[in-house]
Amino acid sequence: MIEVRNLTKRYGDYTAVEDLSFEVKDGTIYGFLGPNGAGKTTTMNIMTGYLSPTEGEVIINGHDILEEPEAAKRTIGYLPETPPLYTDLTVREYLSFVSELKKVPKKDRGEEIRNVMDALDLSGVRNRLIRNLSKGYRQRCGFAQAMIGKPETLILDEPASGLDPKQIVELRELIRELGKNHTVILSSHILSEVAEVCDRILIISEGRLVACDTPANLMGGAGNGGRPRLRMIIRGTPDEVRAALGAVPDEMRRKADLQLKETENGCTQVTAAFADGEDCRGDLSGALYAAGCPVLEMYEEKTSLESVFLELTEQAGRNRTEETPSPSEQAGKRTEETASTLGQAGKRTEEAHSPSEQAGKNRTEEPKTDGRK
Amino acid sequence: MAAIYKREMYGFFTNLTGAIAAAVMLLVFGLMFRYYNLYNGALTMHYTVSGSALVFYIVVPVLSMRSFAEERRQKTDQLILTAPVSLAGIVFGKYLALISMLALPLAILCTFPLIMTAFGNETVLWDYSVIGAFFLMGCAYLAVGLFISSCTENAVIAAILSIVFVFVTQMMSSVFTMISSTAMTALLFLAILSALAGVLVFVMTGNFAAGMLSFAVLSLACIAGYLIRPDWFSGRTESVLRILDFSTHFSDFAGGAFSLANVVYFISYIAAGLVLTLLSLDRRRWS
Repeated sequence: MIEVRNLTKRYGDYTAVEDLSFEVKDGTIYGFLGPNGAGKTTTMNIMTGYLSPTEGEVIINGHDILEEPEAAKRTIGYLPETPPLYTDLTVREYLSFVSELKKVPKKDRGEEIRNVMDALDLSGVRNRLIRNLSKGYRQRCGFAQAMIGKPETLILDEPASGLDPKQIVELRELIRELGKNHTVILSSHILSEVAEVCDRILIISEGRLVACDTPANLMGGAGNGGRPRLRMIIRGTPDEVRAALGAVPDEMRRKADLQLKETENGCTQVTAAFADGEDCRGDLSGALYAAGCPVLEMYEEKTSLESVFLELTEQAGRNRTEETPSPSEQAGKRTEETASTLGQAGKRTEEAHSPSEQAGKNRTEEPKTDGRK
Repeated sequence: MAAIYKREMYGFFTNLTGAIAAAVMLLVFGLMFRYYNLYNGALTMHYTVSGSALVFYIVVPVLSMRSFAEERRQKTDQLILTAPVSLAGIVFGKYLALISMLALPLAILCTFPLIMTAFGNETVLWDYSVIGAFFLMGCAYLAVGLFISSCTENAVIAAILSIVFVFVTQMMSSVFTMISSTAMTALLFLAILSALAGVLVFVMTGNFAAGMLSFAVLSLACIAGYLIRPDWFSGRTESVLRILDFSTHFSDFAGGAFSLANVVYFISYIAAGLVLTLLSLDRRRWS
């Protein structure tokens, strides 16, 4: 359990983190997102006791990081942005130093180092100098260092940087595995990465918390009343389509809340609500096919995390330059804004998906590019 | 602390700095011993040890420059500062490693008086007291070197600053002869010191007003003191500068006089160096 309360960090006149509060529950994986300079690394450095906050407090597993630093630090494994490696040591020597530094009992050290090296696939390079290792290995070495001492909480600053795609997949598996009995906080600029692994996502911009929710809620069409919608492109005029859909049972049609819209080259776009636990895709496409209106495309409309992220952080930036209301006012406003911007984000992605981009996508695949970059 | 100590010692032996420091010390000890004792037949070793003080110009920067500067540059300070080790443990571990690297060659030097006993040497105690004082002076230098290293992330700057410190403290006794001992000189000198103190306050707190205020208070106190009792000020320049005079404090030992005051003098430098290192590391977290 990590509690961060009213955290503020100022460097002279520059405010890196402002009044940031959040809570991380045990056994969950939290993703920390924000543009460069948003204060992610600063927050992580404060949480691990490397920096001290100007105001506010951080309580790690019941220990205040300032009052009981050693007890708090014992429960944290930290992988900073740059892995803190002694390049004149071999991987084994380095991990052995770290385990001694973290006060792992002498008799357990050998086994623990072996386990960590196996988990991160470092055994093959155990006797090589860290100086001579590639960036991917160095990154994994840094990760290994954080895992030593079996900390309850892992704080990882961009753990995937420098890894190749295969290693990223492996790392994701590892983090998911660790997440079962650890609390994990990770920051990343790879948004899909965060969406894949994390139970909850914290988005910060310019040192302020902009949104905190599950990836599903952030992405899953929050703009469409909180539910993803089914979107189809059908060959035929709206009238033909409407007639064809008459074959679908009334009950299902009502639930699906069908909306028709004519598009160019004689096609019709239909959107339907996804009723929970009820799959109307089979009935709809069957009825349409029988009536001679083939379904050209069918996909689940999702808001990509990228667009949510960009919208939220840009909105936050705009608000800050336009006006500076008192903190309490702002807090209230922020939640409203979150909802409204999510709506906009949803709309923007709709526009962005051209039919050609969507072709061949099945409904489980989320759109990776939204053409707005 | 043990982990930090071991890591530092390992570093000294793998990246040559330890070997360079030990080689320089042993070379100079050997040359001086050969010249003063074996060739010129000096009865005691105090010439040998005093003459060897020039090794500090090389040993202090070589050993201490990387201590914290390199950790900071390589970002490994993030590891040790977020590990469950106290700040004092880190500083002490590093310092113990530094003085161990000084003690190892000195342990070899300690066998030299035993060689002298073959020629009927009766001054073994004197010799060991000089070697002890040499070690104490080295410890003081290394504590200051550690502090300098904790202030920068550039090891070269740390090295240059510690060489300057060694130079000033070794040469201070010759500077006295060039400074007049009148009360007016002392007043000017103390005013300059007040200005320096003001700058230091400004640098440490980042508050310009606080810096100006401390300068104003200190210099006004000096002027008031001068107006009330000008006689108290004569010769004060020298007594202030004597704080930086390592060589005179050391030469008392070399002359064969064991003085507790001089031991306390060097120990205060060690304590000040370590405390300032702690403060400098802690301040960086708050800046």
